Amino acid sequence: MRTSHERGIAEVTITVESTIKFPYKRSLGPVIGPFMTALAEQRFIAIRSGSRVICPPLEWDPETAAELPRDFVDVGPAGTVCTWSWVSRPTEQHPLDRPFAFALIKLDGADTALTHVVDVESIDQMSTGMRVAPRWRAERLGHITDVEAFVPGEEAITVNGGVPGEPVTMMSYDASITYKIPVSDNTIKAHEATAQGRLVGLKCPVCERIYARDRGFCPIDTVELTDDHEVELPQRGVVTSYTIITPVQYPGQTETEPFSRVMVLIDEIDVVMMYQPLVDVPVEDVRIGMRVAVVWASEAEKADAGRPGNLVGWMPTGEPDNTDPSLANRIM
Amino acid sequence: MAANDRGATDIAIVGFAQSQSVRDAAPSEVQLLVPVVADAITAAGIERSDIGFTCAGSCDYLTGGPFAFVSNLEAAGAWPPISESHVEADGAWAMYEAWMRLQEGDIDVALAFGSGKSSPSNPAEVWAQQLDPYYLAPLGVDPVSLAGIQAQALIDAGKATERDFATVVADSRRNAKSNPNAQLSGDYDVDALLAEPYYRRPLRKHDVPPISDAAVAVIMARGDKARELCERPAWIRGMDHRIEAHQPGLRDITSSASTTLAARKAGYDGGPLDVVELSSTFSPQEIILKNAIGLGAGVNVNPSGGPLAANPIMAVGLIRIVEAASRIIDGTANRALAHATSGPLLQQNLVCLLEGE
Ligand SMILES: [Zn+2]
Repeated sequence: MRTSHERGIAEVTITVESTIKFPYKRSLGPVIGPFMTALAEQRFIAIRSGSRVICPPLEWDPETAAELPRDFVDVGPAGTVCTWSWVSRPTEQHPLDRPFAFALIKLDGADTALTHVVDVESIDQMSTGMRVAPRWRAERLGHITDVEAFVPGEEAITVNGGVPGEPVTMMSYDASITYKIPVSDNTIKAHEATAQGRLVGLKCPVCERIYARDRGFCPIDTVELTDDHEVELPQRGVVTSYTIITPVQYPGQTETEPFSRVMVLIDEIDVVMMYQPLVDVPVEDVRIGMRVAVVWASEAEKADAGRPGNLVGWMPTGEPDNTDPSLANRIM
Repeated sequence: MAANDRGATDIAIVGFAQSQSVRDAAPSEVQLLVPVVADAITAAGIERSDIGFTCAGSCDYLTGGPFAFVSNLEAAGAWPPISESHVEADGAWAMYEAWMRLQEGDIDVALAFGSGKSSPSNPAEVWAQQLDPYYLAPLGVDPVSLAGIQAQALIDAGKATERDFATVVADSRRNAKSNPNAQLSGDYDVDALLAEPYYRRPLRKHDVPPISDAAVAVIMARGDKARELCERPAWIRGMDHRIEAHQPGLRDITSSASTTLAARKAGYDGGPLDVVELSSTFSPQEIILKNAIGLGAGVNVNPSGGPLAANPIMAVGLIRIVEAASRIIDGTANRALAHATSGPLLQQNLVCLLEGE
């Protein structure tokens, strides 16, 4: 790694990619619900707030926060572009896959502007003050994207008529963010050690506490920990606490049967390894005081690329249990 | 009651530190913070145990780490247990909370910090998530497109031109030449900038801030303690933050009513300012903010280069306050104003007014 300046901030060399998904289902309530229902019927509604007509409608007055009476009024379908910005290279998150404009559009009869997109062939067709009308999507769900886009002109492009449907009360919104997380030097060293069948830690030069090998500093003394602080750890210990997890099948959960995670106090030194897997121990046999030793992956298991690391878990040694009652207090 | 008439004038910034802003920092967020917090403590000439309250500002969405803000706290050395808090906001709001806490009068020293690594993710994806989840986020509205809409509105209202935007950029990068923590700096010709292609018309790439990773920390102290620790403390004369409607279509995006109000409530009376540091994330916003605060043509705005030179989200606002305070502490300025922002298109704004003795 090279350092970029005097303080020595190293620049990223290796990253791991992960995507977090947020599959939201939202209830719409008494104002947004009717607006979305109207979209499914190929029309727009707004709400009165004093002398103003607000579109898209809100439950509360944006100036005073007072709850608004549910006094809806039809607006549009045509409107005027108040301002806009041209997206010449759309990305996957955008609603159109060709160049388009995001715009604030004041629908006829409304006093405030709706944010949406305008679909034109070229930027030369865009201007502030231009007149636009919605092009409705054939399959409408009661979602802001039921309007595929606004297009130049006065006439809405409707599909399948404007048949009233069931009131829309919920909406789905599947967001996701992809991350490229840098892998630190300490993390690389931690993986190298487990690949060699070694259990190692980093010892703080001030307080002498021992931390996991991939940690960058002692949080007590705020001292940076590096290769110089590496120590070998014994590969045996005792279970100080545990939990039995009954898996819920959320996205990404691969376990199907109840399984245990245990806290292991390492022999000779004052380190607890948290949430460790136990190997070949039925959940009803897991107990505090159980003596355990590290299980490393076999050559065959190592070859399986899906494995997160070489440390498979911990297995009972068969030694008599440690019966010290204070063990139960050692969870970290 | 305005927050600046209750003994608040008795609190000052006495030490600070910031990391350089870089495009892709290998260290984790907490690893960026560890030396910065330690340096701020050293700069203030205190021991960690002198700190009576700690407040941090960050956003877990940036790095995708669940409870990343809890790890960040470890940079403050949270054992033995300390009194602390966190805001899911820029460090400027963490400083605001710590400043309020100091006004209780029972502690003398407080630490505030802000940190952010935008490099692991795509800001366009992350910042769609702060938008209204019914009307805006499902459209995939990204912050640069929103800024483009604001810029066009500013042009249509006759309040600025594309040349004004380019001038802001040229000034930012020239100023940043003397800022060792900045990412983008140098001499740029306005006509050459205007010859660049559009990115989101009417914005060009240089009207948009860089993606940055950095951390910043400040130490504040009260009354005699501040005078004891610092030869020339940067006294906080007032600090205030105000918010507007979320939907861009509901407000006048060519002005910033909340900035105007925050500046008045913070005690800015229109008098002379030696330094102004603005969180003008996109170049048109510098023009909007200057108008909102009522700054004349001769005011020294963003001598650090501002967010267009380095934009470590969640630290960038507190860095504005640090840049202003540093010039008071080193004696080159006597009265300074710093601004931080949050939310889409300047939805929420914080103003901090600082003075020497
Ligand atoms: Zn230590």
